[in-house]
Amino acid sequence: MASVSATTKYVRPVLSLNKNEARKRVLALYKLWYQEIPQILLDTSLPVTEKMCFDKLREEFRKNANETDIRVIDFLIIKGEQDLQETLEKWKNKGQLMDYFKVTVEKKPSDFLGKFLSGQD
Amino acid sequence: MGSRILLRQCVKELRNNNKQWIERAIATNAQCNTNKLVDINKALEVPEAEQESTEKFLNPMEFDRQQQLKKYIAVSSQENIPIVTGIPEEHIKTRRVRIYQPPKNAMQSGTNNIHNWQIDYDTRERWENPLMGWTSSGDPLSNLKVEFATKEEAIAHCIKMQYEYEIQKPNRSQPKPRSYGENFSWNKRTRVSTK
Amino acid sequence: MLRLPLVRATGLSSSRLGAVGLHTTGSKSQASQELVEVFIDDKPVQVPPGTTVLQAAAKAGVEIPRFCYHERLAVAGNCRMCLVEIEKQIKPVAACAMPVMKGWRVKTNSDLTRKAREGVMEFLLVNHPLDCPICDQGGECDLQDQSMAFGNDRSRFTDIEFSGKRAVEDKDIGPLIKTVMTRCIHCTRCIRFASEVAGLDDLGTTGRGNDMQVGTYVEKMFLSELSGNVIDLCPVGALTNKPYAFVARPWENRRTDSIDVLDAVGSNIVVSSRTGEVLRILPRVNEDVNEEWLSDKSRFACDGLKRQRIITPMIKIAGKLQSVAWEDALVTAAKALQTVAGNEGAVIAGKLADAEALIALKDLFNKLGSEVLATEQGFPKDGSGIDLRSSYLLNNTIAGIEEADVVLLIGTNPRYEAPLVNTRLRKGYLHGEQTIALIGPNIDLSYEYENLGDSIDIITKLKNGSHPFSATLKNAKKPLIILGAEQLTRKDGAKIVSETQALANTLGNNVQASEDWKVLNVLHTNASQVAALDLGYGSTIEDVKQQQPKVLFLLGADDANIKKEDFPNTFIIYLGSHGDQGATIADVVLAGAAYTEKTGSYVNTEGRAQQTGAALTPPGMARPDWKVIRALSEIAGHRLPYDNITEVRSRLEEVAPHIVRYGDVEPANFFAQAHELAKQTGGSFLPDPVDIKQKTLDQFFMTDVISRASPTMAKCVQAAIKQRQTEL
Repeated sequence: MASVSATTKYVRPVLSLNKNEARKRVLALYKLWYQEIPQILLDTSLPVTEKMCFDKLREEFRKNANETDIRVIDFLIIKGEQDLQETLEKWKNKGQLMDYFKVTVEKKPSDFLGKFLSGQD
Repeated sequence: MGSRILLRQCVKELRNNNKQWIERAIATNAQCNTNKLVDINKALEVPEAEQESTEKFLNPMEFDRQQQLKKYIAVSSQENIPIVTGIPEEHIKTRRVRIYQPPKNAMQSGTNNIHNWQIDYDTRERWENPLMGWTSSGDPLSNLKVEFATKEEAIAHCIKMQYEYEIQKPNRSQPKPRSYGENFSWNKRTRVSTK
Repeated sequence: MLRLPLVRATGLSSSRLGAVGLHTTGSKSQASQELVEVFIDDKPVQVPPGTTVLQAAAKAGVEIPRFCYHERLAVAGNCRMCLVEIEKQIKPVAACAMPVMKGWRVKTNSDLTRKAREGVMEFLLVNHPLDCPICDQGGECDLQDQSMAFGNDRSRFTDIEFSGKRAVEDKDIGPLIKTVMTRCIHCTRCIRFASEVAGLDDLGTTGRGNDMQVGTYVEKMFLSELSGNVIDLCPVGALTNKPYAFVARPWENRRTDSIDVLDAVGSNIVVSSRTGEVLRILPRVNEDVNEEWLSDKSRFACDGLKRQRIITPMIKIAGKLQSVAWEDALVTAAKALQTVAGNEGAVIAGKLADAEALIALKDLFNKLGSEVLATEQGFPKDGSGIDLRSSYLLNNTIAGIEEADVVLLIGTNPRYEAPLVNTRLRKGYLHGEQTIALIGPNIDLSYEYENLGDSIDIITKLKNGSHPFSATLKNAKKPLIILGAEQLTRKDGAKIVSETQALANTLGNNVQASEDWKVLNVLHTNASQVAALDLGYGSTIEDVKQQQPKVLFLLGADDANIKKEDFPNTFIIYLGSHGDQGATIADVVLAGAAYTEKTGSYVNTEGRAQQTGAALTPPGMARPDWKVIRALSEIAGHRLPYDNITEVRSRLEEVAPHIVRYGDVEPANFFAQAHELAKQTGGSFLPDPVDIKQKTLDQFFMTDVISRASPTMAKCVQAAIKQRQTEL
C-alpha cells in the first residue's frame, strides 16, 4: 500500500470537541458498563464470573486504546452505548453476549506452516 | 424515492429542532388549506435572534458548545474507517485488492459497460456444495465488485478502507483504421481473396 | 462465392522495397495533414481524412451498431446495420465503409437512421431461428442485444405454420467449432478472419440472396492454430465453442483476468469459471501482446486442468506412489534436502513455473549451497550467456514485429511456437509488404517466405555477404532477426548465438532506423523461460546430468527428457500440478497449483512482466507452488523469509525489479557488449540441418502437461492427422 503522509483536515465534530472531552466520555461509558455488569449477570445467568466480565470489559476498551481520531472515538462511544442499551433492555440474548468471550471459536493458526497444513490462505 | 428523500429531509430538520419541517409537511399534506397554514406559521414565528439570546442567557455554556459543534475541528486525514464499519479485521488486513478497468467481452462488440474502474478482491477458497452442486464460499467479499468512475476514486477508497491494493494498467486499444478500398487495391497484399 | 486470383507481388523484392518506402513516407505526410471536422449528432469531432463515419462516431463517443464490421478485419460493409443518415444526402450511408468529408453532419439517431436499422433487423430476424433459449450465444449475442436496442418492438412475421424459414445444413468443421448454420447472418467475419489473420482461404460463401451459405467449399475441417477466434468473432450463435456447448450461460460464470502460460507470448486471457471448474478461456484485448486473438491451445486446453491432476502429496513406497498427508511428504523431502551439502542439489524448472516459485526455489537451494539451477530449455553459457538480457529477449517487442520490412527467421516456426507472433508477421506481410525468409525446414507459415535452406552456416554466409539474400537484408530499413530458442539447445547453440549476434550487429550498424530498433530477437516457447533466466537459472539439463546430484528438484519439469536411469542414485522431488513424466520418476511428489489457481508472475518472450489471476483454489490438498517450497524450507531447517505473496514479490523485486512491474516491458540494450563477449566463443557449426520440433498442426496441440491432459487437444491432434491424410 502506498504510504500516505498524514495531514490535518478540518471536519465537523460528532460528539466531542477535543480529546479531553472524548476521554471523559470514554471513561463515563466504561464506568457505566462496570456498574451494570453485576446486574447483567443477575439478569442473564451467563456462565461467566464477574471477574471475567471486568477483564473482558477492559480488553474491549483497550483494543481501541490507540485511536486518536476524535470522530472515530465518538463513533465507538455511540456503538458502546448502543451495546449497553441492547444488553440492559435484553434485546441481546445470552448467545450474543457470550460472543464477546468467543469460547467456542477455534483459534486459527497464524504462523505460515500452521496455515499451510491447515489449508487456509 | 422522491418521498423517501423528502422524509429524510423532514427527519433531519426535526432533529435540528427546526420549525420549517412542520411547514413543509403541512404544505404537502394539505395544500388546499392555505389559511390554516398561515395561522400556524404565525403562531410558530419567533424571531431567530430572540430565540438565540434566550438560550444564551439561560445556559451560556451549552450554547457555546452548540455553537462550536457547528464549526470544524482538526483531525488527522488518515481516518481509521474499518474500525467503525464493523468489517472483521481479517477482511481488511489480509485482502489484496485489484484496481482495474474491466476488459471488453471478446464475444460481443458493445463497449458501453467498460468505461469505468472496478475493484475486486483476491480469490479465496470456494467449493461445490455437495447437496445441490452450487458454489459455496466462506468469503463475504468473494462476489463483490465495486465500480468507480475514475482510478483516483478507487485508490482513495482503498486507502480509506486500508486495503492493500495494486493497479492493473488499462488497455490501450487503437487498431489502425482500415478502408474499404484496400479490399480492391490491385498491387497490395490486402486485396481480398475470398468472399 | 467469387474466388479472385490472388494478385500478390512475389519475386519482386526490389520493387517491394520501393513500395515500402513509399508507404512509410505516405503515412508520414498523412500525419501532418490537417484534420477534418465532422459533426456527429451535432457534436463536432476532429478526425484525420480517410476516417470512416463509424470511427469518427466512436471518437465522439457514439457507438454505431454493427455486425460485419470488426476493427481488426477488413471492411466488408455487407450487414448494413451501421446505416446512418447524413445531412443533405438522400440515402442512408453505411458508416463502416464511408470515409468522412469535411463538414458532414451525421445523424446517428434520426428517424431515418432508426428506420433503416429496424428494417435491417427485420430482414435479419425473419430468417433467424427463434432458438435463443437453446443457443449457446444467448446472453452474449450481438443479434440479441441489437434487436433489443435497435430493432422494432413488434413483429410482422406471420408464418406460424412454418412454411418457409430459411434453413441451412450444419457443417462439420472440426472438433473445436460447433456450427448451427441456420443462425448465420452472413456477416463474413469468420471468412475474413480465416483469410486475413489465420492465412487460410478455407471459408467462403456460396449462393446468393436467400440461398447464400457460409462454409468450406468442399467438405473439410477448418483446422488452424487460431480457429477458435471465429467463435468470438461470430456475432450470433452460428459458430460456437464445441467443448463448451450447453455447459453454462455467460452470466453464471465468474470472470478472472489472467495470463496464458502455454506459450511464451503471454496472451491476456479471461478465465470463465463456475463451481470450481474452468469452463472456457477467452482472449482479453492487449494491443501490445495478443491484440484480440488467442491460439487454440490456450483457449481449448483448459479441460486439461481437471484431468491427471495431482491432488495430494505422494511418496514412493515400494516402487509405487502413495498418497500421504502434507506432513509426511514434506518431512520426507526435507530429510533428503538435509543430506545435501554444497553443490549436491539441483533444480530443473519446467515451462509453466511462475517467478514466485522460481525465486523461492532458488533461495532455498542457494541456502543449501547449491548453484545448479537449470531450465528445461537451456541457454548457452558462452559469451555473455544469460548475463545480458538483450541476448535472450524478443527485444523489438511483439508489436514491433509488424513494422519490420525484412524478417529473417532462424530455426523457428512461429506459426506453432507462438501463433500470436505469427499473426504479427502475417500482418506485416499483408499491410507492410514485409519480406520474410527462413533458415530451417520447409514449413507452412501461412504467408509466403523465402526458404534459405536448412544449413546453419547460412547465418555466417549472410553475415559475410556471400549469400544472395544478404543484399536484401543489407538494404532493409528495419531488418529483424528472430532466432528460435529451440536451436540454442543444440550442441553448437553457443556458436549459433554468437553468429546471430554478429549478423545482427552488422545489420544494426548500417540500419538507418531509430536508436531503439533492435535487430536481434529470440523467440522462446516456454512461458517460464525468461523469468527463470532473469532470476539466474543458468544451467542446462546436461549440467545436471553431469553433476549427478544427491537431490534433484523438478519444478513442474515434465518436458526435460530425463529418465530415472539418468539419475540412479538421486532422490527426486517433483512439485507440479499434473501427473506426467516428472511425477513418474519422482520419489516424493508435492501437489502444486496450475496457472488458473495461483497468482503468479510471468515474463513473456519480449520481457513483459505480467501476472496470472487465481480463478479457483487449487484442487484437493494442492497448494500454490511457492507456498510448498516455503513450507519445505521451514521443515528442512532453512526457513525462507517470506510468508505471503507481497513479501515474496518484494524479494523478487530485490533480485529482478522488472518482474513486479506488471504490464511493462523492461527493455534491454547491450547488443554491442554482448557481441564483444560473443567474439570469444569458439567452436564451429555442426553439420546437422536446422530442425524444428513443431512442423505441422498436429504437433502444435500437445506441448505441455496441461494440453497433454486435455481430451479436446487429443481430438484436435486426431483431426489434424486425419485431415492431412485425406489431403495427401
